[in-house]
Amino acid sequence: MKTPAIYQTVFPKLKDTDTVGDAMRRMLDDRVSDLPVVDASGKLIGMFKLDRLYATLLPKAALIGYGIPDLAFVSDTLGQLRGKMRAIEHRPVHEFVVRPVHVIHADTAPLEIVLLLHQGANNIPVVDRDGGLLVGMVSARDLLTALQAGEGK
Amino acid sequence: MTHGDAAHVSAVIFGLSPLWVATTLFVGTYLVIMSDKLNRAIVALLGAGLLILVGVLNQHEAMAAVDFNTLGLLLGMMLIVNITRRSGLFQYVAIWSAKKVDARPWGILLMMSIVTAVFSAFLDNVTTVLLTVPVTLLITDELKVKPYPYLFAQIFASNIGGTATLIGDPPNIMIGSATGLTFNDFAVALTPVIVPIFVATMIPLYLYWGRHLRATDENRRHVMGFNERAAITDPRLLKQSLTVIALVIVGFMLQRQIKIEPATIAIFGAAVLLLLDNFGKDAETQSKNVHGALSEAEWITLMFFLGLFILVYGIQKAGLIDLMADALLKATGGDFKLTALAILWGSAILSAFIDNIPFVATMIPLIKAMGPTFGGDNALLPLWWALSLGACLGGNGTLIGASANLVVAGLAERAGTTFRFVEFLKVAFPLMLISIVLSHAYIYFRYL
Repeated sequence: MKTPAIYQTVFPKLKDTDTVGDAMRRMLDDRVSDLPVVDASGKLIGMFKLDRLYATLLPKAALIGYGIPDLAFVSDTLGQLRGKMRAIEHRPVHEFVVRPVHVIHADTAPLEIVLLLHQGANNIPVVDRDGGLLVGMVSARDLLTALQAGEGK
Repeated sequence: MTHGDAAHVSAVIFGLSPLWVATTLFVGTYLVIMSDKLNRAIVALLGAGLLILVGVLNQHEAMAAVDFNTLGLLLGMMLIVNITRRSGLFQYVAIWSAKKVDARPWGILLMMSIVTAVFSAFLDNVTTVLLTVPVTLLITDELKVKPYPYLFAQIFASNIGGTATLIGDPPNIMIGSATGLTFNDFAVALTPVIVPIFVATMIPLYLYWGRHLRATDENRRHVMGFNERAAITDPRLLKQSLTVIALVIVGFMLQRQIKIEPATIAIFGAAVLLLLDNFGKDAETQSKNVHGALSEAEWITLMFFLGLFILVYGIQKAGLIDLMADALLKATGGDFKLTALAILWGSAILSAFIDNIPFVATMIPLIKAMGPTFGGDNALLPLWWALSLGACLGGNGTLIGASANLVVAGLAERAGTTFRFVEFLKVAFPLMLISIVLSHAYIYFRYL
């Protein structure tokens, strides 16, 4: 059984010119925590991830590795955090894109996909080998669906 | 210190005298360390290993050359800090001090510098800046002020504060261990000059940066809204840590009376704190806690020291240290005052550009070798203080002068603030010279 039986070919994605506000709405509508971002030609340029977005709400000191073990003593309110989020709503998503740690191809073996998902990958982009065009996405849920469907799915 | 049975060491190695072989290996090792191309622990251990392999030292001498008192003191204090920091103590003190000055920008700079200096007097400098700089970055972020002046001041504070005590800076630990000078000896001799040096450093910083620092009332209110009590993540561990730290410091102060070396006091304190932290916990949690505390010790530094002790004994045994001591005495005409001041200024200038740990490791036997010329070991006291002040304070002169400087620069870089060598040098070097001028006057009038 090859990957085509597992990955989704219809999936939500962002253009690099979309704004952070667009991305947040799409995430809420589609109930996902990360979205692939493509350029005008459909080539994958990276992932827009919710945890990267949340990092913008944090003080830099909390992100420098050694950093501060907890922020319980900082009294920022939800309203203040909303204000920080609103301040970046109009910025393009390409400023926040992260290079995906893993990409797979249409012919990637299923067991390799199991391994990546087991190692913590969440939504894995599927790109074609020649041009880097984004052709699909596979998630842990997609894999479970494929496994439950049985032979031939 | 005895170095075991040195009866049989080749008089000639590969057709060369041991002096040449040891000197070549020593200089080569130091050059590679200075180049920063290879981790310094690797280089020091390789150099030490080569000294044994070529026969300058035998295995027994090499092991006897290692100053386990220095290594034990460093390791013990590292373990105590690694356990204590989980309690949130250091964040608590930093936030408390910022709020004490109503979150005024200059007040915070001054208070964070004092906190850093005091912590540095009792903890390793690198550990201190790792604990305090993230809080500084958080506060400057909230105040919307540039962090550079704050971090610059903390670099100076860590090196100045570390100079004040036996345990504050590795050069002092090495000097104390080699000479038998105690915690109290260091505190009595060095604190009286360290306090004025700290003040004399802060005044130019105020004139240059401090008086221009501004923050809005709203941003200051953010900082005043910090709840320092919430920074304490483990009150039980906090009480245990403070008790053990207090007892360890009392132990250092009573070192002469109880006749126990600082390494024993520090390691015993660490063991007691580990016991308190793990008492009543299951075996798996105990293993995890102890493994965490041990693995976070600065093993690179400890292995670097180990290699250095062997390297320096190699050149000492080969006769290079005696030659260098003779050369220094010849240059100063055997004048004690001139020798002391030459050590102070030479140590300061060199320590601004090279690692002060290998420098001090080399200078210790060199100064000891001058004992007979100046009337015995007891007469050398001013030379030890000159070495300590020069090597510790000299590290402030450049960005590469001390490990703490580079650690602060690295943390700042990750938070978006760049430290450049020349930009730092322009302010730091004159400030460092001020501290050496004050040290010069202090040593001259008190000891010479």
